Amino acid sequence: MGYFAKMRGHTQSPPGVGGVEILWSWVGSFLGIAAVGLLHFKLLDHTGLMLIIGSFGASAVLIYGAIRSPLAQPRNLMGGHVLSALVGVTAFKLLGHQPWLASALAVATAIALMHLTKTLHPPGGATALIAVIGGDAVHRLGFLYVVMPAALGAAVMLGIALVVNNIPKNRRYPEFWL
Amino acid sequence: MNPPSIRECAPVELADEDVLRAMKAMQGYIDITPADFREVYRVAYALAKERMMNALKAGDVMSAPVYAIGEGADLIEAATLLAEKGISGAPVVDRDGRIAGVVSEKDFLRQMGAGRTGAFMQVIAECLRHKGCLATPMRNLTVGQIMTAPAVTAPAGITLAGIAAVFVEKNINRLPIVDGDGRPVGIVTRGDLVNSYCMLG
Repeated sequence: MGYFAKMRGHTQSPPGVGGVEILWSWVGSFLGIAAVGLLHFKLLDHTGLMLIIGSFGASAVLIYGAIRSPLAQPRNLMGGHVLSALVGVTAFKLLGHQPWLASALAVATAIALMHLTKTLHPPGGATALIAVIGGDAVHRLGFLYVVMPAALGAAVMLGIALVVNNIPKNRRYPEFWL
Repeated sequence: MNPPSIRECAPVELADEDVLRAMKAMQGYIDITPADFREVYRVAYALAKERMMNALKAGDVMSAPVYAIGEGADLIEAATLLAEKGISGAPVVDRDGRIAGVVSEKDFLRQMGAGRTGAFMQVIAECLRHKGCLATPMRNLTVGQIMTAPAVTAPAGITLAGIAAVFVEKNINRLPIVDGDGRPVGIVTRGDLVNSYCMLG
């Protein structure tokens, strides 16, 4: 197939979901982000620690809105955030004086590592990037960033996903654990 | 490399519309495009078919024991056996019990003026044209004289895919299965092959 012909696309979008699915996606993501947010703002905000980062908004799309997706499974959610956080912090520590390079290296390496470990989770890219560009609050955490917010926040979101996604009769989560 | 008649019964090609409707019937967002699904299906189906076609061997589906007819038997004897057993053909064996050929309705029809194709309707046409039955001149022939030889045979280890290929390639309807010494141990007919698809479930 020609190089430019490939750019036309060749198939169509999967079908849209029904109202029930939309409702439960909304409920799940509301509760998931609410849980992480409450813990963050009510308990941790004044301690200099953090539990909430932007990439959890992206995780919510997957683990509450596309729960069948391989990208949304616990292995990917936890593995993706933890490994990407590790890569991000390392990149900042090594190349923090060149933020553009540290950012690019963090995201690209996080994706490669997630692929290698079969833990691909798109929000992981954000988790790695935030480790570099998240400012002093994030930088002060050092490798603690991997545990908190990355691992702990993801775990809270996972807990809510297990509770909420299994309530409706024909919804189930996860597809697999490991 | 599929022989033509096998390709004809290949699976119905899925349309995007079929996939979309199936996806719609499932709860939740299905994270794959219809084209990707069709590709997965196509490859998986081919693999499954290959696995099933190679899982069963002639030994699993053949009719055994087989009714073999001696080369020297006369045609009355042979025709009576085929009629009694309700079969349309049988392997022919020599004095040592080794396969020498195959005799079938087609061989009889050919003797009766059916021509190379062995068509029954050709015999009818000949009969009507000559105002008489054409079987009588055959009375003094032996099976060995009318059989199709040499026989196309296969060992018990041949797979269903292999049998199907032989049927198509040689344009035959039954395949005698022989042991290492060339003695028939069973026979696989086109019917047996069809039945085996039920076994594959």
